[in-house]
Amino acid sequence: MIDVGVSQLSVILTVSGAILLIAYLTAVSSKDLIRLLISLELMFAAVFLAILPLFSINPSMAYAVAIVTAFTSSGELLVLITAIIMLDRRKRGIEVEKVAVGGDSI
Amino acid sequence: MNIETLIIAVAGVFAVASSIGVLLTKDNFYAALYMSVTMLFVAAIYAAFNLQPVVVIVALIFVGAVGIVTVAVAATYRARVSRQVSLFWTLPVIIVFGILAYAYYGLAVENLEITNQGVFSALPTDYFFVVVFLFSLVVVMMLSAVKLARGVDL
Repeated sequence: MIDVGVSQLSVILTVSGAILLIAYLTAVSSKDLIRLLISLELMFAAVFLAILPLFSINPSMAYAVAIVTAFTSSGELLVLITAIIMLDRRKRGIEVEKVAVGGDSI
Repeated sequence: MNIETLIIAVAGVFAVASSIGVLLTKDNFYAALYMSVTMLFVAAIYAAFNLQPVVVIVALIFVGAVGIVTVAVAATYRARVSRQVSLFWTLPVIIVFGILAYAYYGLAVENLEITNQGVFSALPTDYFFVVVFLFSLVVVMMLSAVKLARGVDL
């Protein structure tokens, strides 16, 4: 049985929030899909850290959430690598600026 | 501050420093390496709480599989592209981080207690259908991704 103190909880959630915000900043500043993929993985790392307090409330659910997070991250990695390959084959590059179609124009 | 809190704080500081390295470096390969280091420090925080199953998940899946694949892809496309960091985004991020940190310190009022750590062995039985569904979903996603990748003309 492990006790999680208030200071430890504050440190964990603060670190998680910092990593998440840095990942957001990396995502909005990325110019290619590789950096976007890395920022998304950082976001999953922050989520992994944020679910640690759940282990004190419902450990079974916390383990299930951890496994779902791992599966989701793996699937996201696969889909994004496929997108990188397709963009490279079509546009001869992986820069975000090469994607000319998109946005919310009607 | 006891020794456990100090260990967690040091691991957290290194994790944040590694994630800042992801943001600041211009090389995708080094960014992927910094990301893997960040995940290792996240696993270290879990190890400080004696949650070995999650440490195994993070170390094997996140760092061992996802991290290595990301490093390999980043090494393949190791282009030194310039970042488009705008100072306009830095200030809101700092403000939001400050508000979150203040809220965490203000709302944390009592200790948490981790109980019943042996539930991981019951996961394949209690969440059997969830695990089967996730495996099926990942297989379908893999097949769809392979079909899409093969269908693109060179």
